[in-house]
Parts: sequence; C-alpha cells; structure tokens
Amino acid sequence: MMLVAAGILLMLVAALTVAALWRRVALSDTAFRLFMVLGCTLGAIPAVRVLSGAAVPDVRLASLVPGGDWVFGIDTLSAVFLLAIFLVGGACALYGVAYAEHDHDRRRAAGAHALLAVLVAALALVVTAQAVVPFLIAWEVMAVAGYLTIISEPERAEVRRGGLLYLVATHTGTLALFAVFAIWGNGARDLTFASLAAHPPASAGVLALVLWLALAGFGVKAGIVPLHFWLPEAHAAAPSHISAIMSGLVIKMGIYGVMRIIALLVAPPVWFGWVLLALGATSGFLGVLWALAQHDLKRLLAFHSVENIGIILLGLGAGVLGVGYGHPVMATLGFAGAALHTFNHALFKSLLFLGAGSVGHATGTRDIERLGGLAKRMPRTAAVFLIGSVAIVGLPPLNGFLSEWLVYRSLFQGGVGTGSARFVVVAAVALALIGGLALACFAKVVAVIFLGNPRDPLAREARESASGITRPMAVLAGACVVTGLAPVLVLPPALRVGSMLARSASRDTMSLVSAANGPVTVFVLALAAGIALAAGIALAWAARRARSSVQPSRTSVETWACAYPVPLTARAQYTASSFAAPVLALFRPVTGVSVRRTAHSFATHAVDPVRTGLVLPAWRGVAQAADRIRRLHRGRISLHLAYVIAVVIVLLVYLIAAGGAS
Amino acid sequence: MSRNALISLIVLLVAAPLLPGIALKTKSVLTGRRGAPVLQVYYDLWKLGWKRSVYSATTTWIFRAGPAVMLVSLVAAALFLPLDGRAAPAAFAGDLVAFAALLALGRFALVLAGLDTGSSFEGMGASREVTFATFAEPALFLCLIALVLATGELSLSGMLGAPLAAAWTRAPASLSLVGISLFVLLLVENSRVPADDPATHLELTMIHEVIVLDHGGPDLAVILYSSALKLALFAALVASVFVPRARLGAAASVVALLAALILVSAAVGVVESAMARLRLTRVPQLLAGAGALACFGIVLLLA
Repeated sequence: MMLVAAGILLMLVAALTVAALWRRVALSDTAFRLFMVLGCTLGAIPAVRVLSGAAVPDVRLASLVPGGDWVFGIDTLSAVFLLAIFLVGGACALYGVAYAEHDHDRRRAAGAHALLAVLVAALALVVTAQAVVPFLIAWEVMAVAGYLTIISEPERAEVRRGGLLYLVATHTGTLALFAVFAIWGNGARDLTFASLAAHPPASAGVLALVLWLALAGFGVKAGIVPLHFWLPEAHAAAPSHISAIMSGLVIKMGIYGVMRIIALLVAPPVWFGWVLLALGATSGFLGVLWALAQHDLKRLLAFHSVENIGIILLGLGAGVLGVGYGHPVMATLGFAGAALHTFNHALFKSLLFLGAGSVGHATGTRDIERLGGLAKRMPRTAAVFLIGSVAIVGLPPLNGFLSEWLVYRSLFQGGVGTGSARFVVVAAVALALIGGLALACFAKVVAVIFLGNPRDPLAREARESASGITRPMAVLAGACVVTGLAPVLVLPPALRVGSMLARSASRDTMSLVSAANGPVTVFVLALAAGIALAAGIALAWAARRARSSVQPSRTSVETWACAYPVPLTARAQYTASSFAAPVLALFRPVTGVSVRRTAHSFATHAVDPVRTGLVLPAWRGVAQAADRIRRLHRGRISLHLAYVIAVVIVLLVYLIAAGGAS
Repeated sequence: MSRNALISLIVLLVAAPLLPGIALKTKSVLTGRRGAPVLQVYYDLWKLGWKRSVYSATTTWIFRAGPAVMLVSLVAAALFLPLDGRAAPAAFAGDLVAFAALLALGRFALVLAGLDTGSSFEGMGASREVTFATFAEPALFLCLIALVLATGELSLSGMLGAPLAAAWTRAPASLSLVGISLFVLLLVENSRVPADDPATHLELTMIHEVIVLDHGGPDLAVILYSSALKLALFAALVASVFVPRARLGAAASVVALLAALILVSAAVGVVESAMARLRLTRVPQLLAGAGALACFGIVLLLA
C-alpha cells in the first residue's frame, strides 16, 4: 500500500510541478512525464503482487471526522482496477503532453496536465479506500477533477453543455450513494467497509432499497441505459486523452462500486442477479445499436462504452445468479469475466479514443463521413486502431475475446446446471446479438475512416501524428495483444477476483485456474496450428510459382467499376450512413435515426431517444420546480444566515428529543 | 489427437471444394441441364493459382491480409469440430464460443478487405453481409444453447459426440428443430439460395460475390477455397447433429462423414432448384424464423 501511496504522491508532485513551472515548457513537460511514469510504475507494483496472490497490509489512519478510521488497502478487486488505472492513466498522461505540445495557451495546457494527474490520483484512491468517508471524498475529487478536465476548452458551447450535463449527472449519482451508505451504515459499528460487511441490511426490504439506490448511483457513473444520457455528450466535449480516461477508467468506477457492494454482501439476492442480467442485455444491445447510428467518432465510441458496460453487467449478473442458485463455478467464471472485461475494455477503449484523437488532430474533424483512406496517410494510427477494433468486437486472438469467452462460459455453465440456473443460458443469445452488431459497427468505423479513398480534402491532406502520440497507443495495443495471446498471464488473476466475489473456496479456484488455462492454451495452439497449416500451403504454392513463369502482380490499377467507363470517385463510395442503414432499418423502433434523402445523397442522423424523449422533458420539470424553490434564496446574506441558524436549531431540538428518548 | 480425428480433418480439408460442385451438379440435373463437372472448383483453384494478382491502387495491406486471415480462421475453426464423430483435434469446455468467434473473425477480415477497395459495390455487399450476420450469430447461438441443454456438454466434441446419441432418444423433437435451423443457417451463411444466388450475374443483387469483386489470382483462389471450407464446416455440423456417428468404426466413420457431406450439399442443390432467392429484406425474417425454431427446441428442453 505504501508504494501506491508513493505513486499517488508522485502524481500530485507532477501536478504541482507542471502548474508551477508552466512558463518553462520543456522542463515542465519533461518533469511531468517523468513523475507520472514513475508514479504509475510504483503504484502498479503492489497491484501486480496482489493479483499474483500475495497480500499487502492495509493502512489505517485515525480520523478526525465521524465514521471510523480511514482504511486504505488493496484486495484483488482493487488490484484489477488499480492496474488498469496506472496503465491507462500513464499512457494518457504521456499522450496528453504530446497532444498539447503545439497549444499556444501554455498556462491552460499546464492546468490540464495538472488536473489529469489529480484525476488519476483520485481514481487510485477510490479503488483503494476501504471506508465510506475516504471513498466518498475520493469519489467527489474524481467527479470534480473529471468535470474540470472535460471543460478544458470552455469557449465552445458544446463543451460547456457536455460538462454541465456530466456535473449534474454525477452529483445526482453521488446523492444516491450518500443514501446507500447512510441506510446501510445505520447501526453498524463504524463506516469502514469491514464493519459494513459485518452488518448487512437487516430485512429484505432494506436490502432491496440499498441495492436499487446503489444501482442508480453507480449506474449513472457507469452509464447503464437509461442513465447513460450524459456519457456521449461529455465524451465528445472532452479532449481525446480525457475521453480515454473517462471511458476507460472513470465510468468503470461505477462497475467497481457495484462489485464492491456485491463483495460486501454475504449473499446477494437472486432477483438482483436477474436485474443485472436484464440491464446488461438492454445496455449492451441499445448501446451498440446507437453506436451504429452515430457518425461522430467520439460519440460512437462513447455509445460502445455503454455496450461494453452491458457485457460486464451480463458477467456480474451470471455471477450473482451463480451464487444465488448455489453454482460456485458459474459464479466464479461470471465475476472473473466481468473483472477481466473491465480491465480489457479499459485498455482497448482508451486506445480507440486516443486513436480518435490522433485522427482528429490530423484532420480536424470527428465526422467520419468526411474521412477515408487514412490507412495510407496514417499507417501507425490505422494499425493500432485496427487492433483496438478487433479487440472490442471480441474476436480472437485478442483480449476482448478472452473476457467475452469467460462471460459466455459462465452463462453456458448455468445451462448444464440444475433448476432455475438453466434459464440463465438464454442470456448468451443477447451476447451473440451484441457481438454481431459490434462487428457491423467496427467494420463501418475502420472502413469509413481508414480504407477506400478520402471523401474530403481534410482527409486527403492528413499526416501521421508525432511519435509522442503514436507511442502511448502502441503500448496499449501491445497490452491488448499480449493479454490475448498469453491468457496464462491474466486468467489466474481474473479467476482470483471471481472467487473472491463468489466466495468460493480457494481450492476450487485453483482447479478452475488450471481447468481454464488448459482450454485457452488449446485454443491458442489451435490458432497456431491453423496459421501453420495455411502458411505451409501458401509457402509451398509460392515456391512452385517462383519456379514458374507467372508474371509479378500489378499494383497500380483502378478499382474495378464493373465496366463503368469512368473511374470510381470517392463520392461513389459507400458512406457510413448507407453501410449502417440496413441494420438500423431492421431495428427502427429503437434506433432513433432520422433520414435525409435527396435524389443523389443519403444520410442518417442519430438522435438518442432516451435523451430527447425522457431526460430533457424530465429536466424541464426539474427546472420548473427549481424556479419555485428559487423564491427561498434571493441573494440576501442575512436571509441565508437565518436559514443556517434555523437548521442548527432544528438539529438541536432533534438531538435533545432523541437523547430524551434514549 | 487421435489418428482418426486427423484423417477426418484431412478428408474435410481435401474434400471441401467438392461440395459446391455437387450442389451445382444436383441443381443442373434437376433443372434438366448437364452442368459443370463436379470437380469444377478444383479446376478453378488450379487455374487461379497460376494467375497473377492485380491490386487496386486504393487498397492497403488489409486487402492482401483478408483472404489469409479468412483461411486461417476457418482452418482453426475446423479443428474444433468432431469430424470422426467422437472427438475433435482440439477441444475444451466452451470451445463452441471459439468456433463461432473464429467464423466471425473470417467474416470481419473479408468485409474489411472488400471495403478497402473503395468501391460502392463492395460496400453494398459488405453492408448486407454484416446485416445478415447480426441475425445469423444469435440464431447460431440459439442452436448451440439447445445442444448444450440437450447433452449437458460444453464442448463441440462432447455435444456432437457420444452424448448426442443418448440425447436423440430423450429429446428428438428439439434436436430435429435444431438440425433444421442449422441447415437454414448453412444456406444463409454460405450465400446460397434463398439468401443469395451464387449464379447471379448482376452485381447489385449479390452479397458474397460482390465483396470479392476485386480479388484475383491466388487471392481469389484462397477465398474460393475458404468459402468451400466454410460450407463444409456447416455441412459437417448439420450432418453431425442428424447422424451421431460415435458408435461407428474408424473407417466407417470417415466414409459416413464423406457421405453426409455429399448428402447435405445435394440437399443444398435441391433447395436451389426448387425455389428462387428471397428479397434482401426477407432474409433477416428467414433467419429470425430459424432462430425461432431453435427457440422452440430450447423451450421444450427447459420445460
């Protein structure tokens, strides 16, 4: 824990240095890079140790405020998130420095760097806090630092709007969390997580209230449908490396919260598992569908985060149901799948957002309908973006496949179980549908941005980004490949998290570890055999061809236009709108797409039905109510002082009455 | 890996190009024509292998990698099918997900390669391919779920091996529905009538043929072979569900595999000569219907 503390301190030092030395650009950038990399490396060491089975002692600070000691510690659950935070946070910090290199407003750039460091430090505190008070403090620091990083270009109205929406959403969520811990902690010895675990909610009714409130509070952060409405707006408003941290890490804190609640409960009720499963299927399906309808790259990626949160919830649901129906293997696999997918999604989603930033940097647009042919102009960005896409679609041999496989495996394990657990297997269909749609969506994204011909001069004149931008992406892409190809590295830690949440015996886990390692090794071997077989045939053929008189291939011809006499222009290419149209037409009632069609053009425009149909009307109601309340505060200080005194008097009366009663 | 499994795998890899030929021959005979030789696909592969490749200036390495990735993913998927009716060369609990994911990988590679040409025709085909896949994938999983529930096994080797014969005595109705559903999936996934017409001559109406419009020479040969292999994989899947071969002897099971492959491809030919292709917008309904059949199977198993 001391190393994590040192890492967090180093990040704060980085923030201070960059804020103090902002006039000396080279020096402050170098110092910031150095301190961030050092801090992330130090912090990651204990996370890796805990994940490989070691225990790290807690840190206990006597507290000055009520609620018991401030405990900080790393269990396996914290460690997974901690590792993702330091890996992604470090990469994004390096990327951010390179991203802002040509920013003329040095002061603002330095401020943004400092806030990023604070945000990453706050994230690390959220997942290591083992008591309610420090957890909520870190949670608020994270929320506010997140807000400030989002609005780093406040002169744009879109940015201010997205930031405000985020701020309102996150604080509404925090309110629910206060309620959760107030209800749960009522009667507990103090507010450390250990005391909460020892004092579970007394009745089924209270438990239900706590769980629904927790789902609402953490669900806003995670972006579970229909609480996702802030997510695309905020992600589109923020600079790309901030979007990467928001989507890769910050929304994962919602998942962390749900997992922590599950870890604190001895027996999460069965209905909660079904709720998670249903929410997961809905979020996954609607998230990917709305992503398919989007042609704004960053909004599209943000909706994919909604989808992946859905996949994670499917894993969590399977885990809770496994516990509820008494199937420890199913529970362990489900939780392990959720944990690993959280980690994997942090890697590939931040990679994709950084890629989007690189594309945006080079072309100045997020509208993919104006791009095309960038694979030739930005080969490195194209390669890492393709890796991220294959990973997020869940295709072998990358890491996304591994975690989705665990979730599938857990659902199928339900199918061979007994009793009601067998019904869980049907959720695998939702996962398959989500997978098919994700494939369609990323075929669209990769093709329309990187393949074919440029659709606009912006894309034609694009240049590859500097190595300071492509290198952090290469690190994340490398992590995706390694995680996918060497499951032996990540499956045992994931299963350890799974068994912690499933409370299954350690002996069971270890047999599962070996049972899971075997198959996946078989899979990698099979893939290798497939490659060897295909390569053998190809080589033999090439050797024979080389000895014969076959002419060399021609590489400078036009794409065949099916005998059309004029060469195909870029305008004749399929657009993102036309590519996605058939799928969207099939799901018309829920896609919320408006179509603009003329004699020679076709374009679709996505509208989030939840935001326009649900959130905005509700917001108008809230604003009207707020107007009425406004009569209470008219800006006169004397009036406000009177309110304060009135509240203190009411509290005193309450305390006297309560003291009299006891 | 048993010797038997290896022999079956080699039989499948070698015999794969036979299947489209048989389907075409059946169709020709039923419609009163002589038709191309059964070995036509082998001749085509040989001819294409000796031609030179032509690449559009628009394309990148993704275009060239497409056919290779498709071939590798399908060969790897073949390793998980218990072709000898007992055990596959590679098997583990949950390998059915790997099988489906490898098919999806091949699809992704082919679609991207098509889109790399910047042609609207290829874009059209790719768009249709992924549209149908969003329905085909859940339908395939519904079939697999039914097989899991019927046999209590989590690997393809288990659910298509010995336990399947016992499952037929317990749940014949469900397994029949799954088999029919898988056959419909075979037709759609392999671009056969009624989803797509391999003999069509108009680019605007094609799906598979139009994605590979710009591939030529050895690249096209790899795609042609991979498509035949995909048909063979699905044919083996359908055959394994309908005819459990676990009790047959070693030689008999290989012969049975070959016979089953031929029968299924003849059935494809019969379908093609008996009906026209559906309108594009009808194909998802066909897939939803196939999924619904498998769903009934699941309901019967869970009841």
